[in-house]
Amino acid sequence: MEQNVHAGSPLGNGFQLTIEPDRGAVARANAAFTAFAEANTVPAPIRRSLNVALDELLQNTIAHGFAGRQGGAMTIAVELGTDRLTVTLTDNGRPFNPLVTAAPDTARSIEERPVGGLGIHLVRQLMDEVHYHRRGGRNVVVLVKRLSGGKRQV
Amino acid sequence: MEIATRTHNDVTLVAVAGSLDSNTSPQAQQALDGILANGARKIVIDFSAVDYISSAGLRVMLAMAKRLSGGGALRLFGLNETVREVFDISGFSTILAVFATEAEALKGL
Repeated sequence: MEQNVHAGSPLGNGFQLTIEPDRGAVARANAAFTAFAEANTVPAPIRRSLNVALDELLQNTIAHGFAGRQGGAMTIAVELGTDRLTVTLTDNGRPFNPLVTAAPDTARSIEERPVGGLGIHLVRQLMDEVHYHRRGGRNVVVLVKRLSGGKRQV
Repeated sequence: MEIATRTHNDVTLVAVAGSLDSNTSPQAQQALDGILANGARKIVIDFSAVDYISSAGLRVMLAMAKRLSGGGALRLFGLNETVREVFDISGFSTILAVFATEAEALKGL
């Protein structure tokens, strides 16, 4: 595991974490993200929305991206600007665009409701922007959450 | 994540602390299965110390609601802003009984 923390830069704060896609990887990533967000006074609702998005996307990658593959790696790069928090998730698993899944029918009753697709639906709704690129043999997902005016206590 | 239970007449109050996500949901499911196995049919879950919930945690709630849908009750209270937002986005706010406070959740149960 490799972790680089850059704090106090005049251009904003950030950190990067590379993890192996093993059991517990998502929990480690979220614990590291929470520690960073709290140290940088990111408002709790924004931090929690990213916690949910990280859980959905990293879990999805671990479950589907590396089956039968060795040497898997996922990188979480966080950039905290003055008006937005950007989280870039990169993995070397099989090509997979998580955004190409149908939204669930949330109007259906408990009994008739399938659960698949719900996680990605949450990510799309909780984030202000979600982008996917396949670049250099890697999946890249970019999440953007705007820091609404004056909410961030500096 | 931690789960603590206590009883109030024939109601089992379950206090969950921490996150309900892909990492903790199997443990939450196991704990709730145990509570059901002990015969509890009226369950109230205290969410006031739940930090966030992802789809894995929602699945646990959905499974509980299904199992209690015939002759039981599942009620939730104390959701923070983010948990409430996740419930609203997923449509769970309309299919699960969500209350603001413990007193409201227990009323008429």
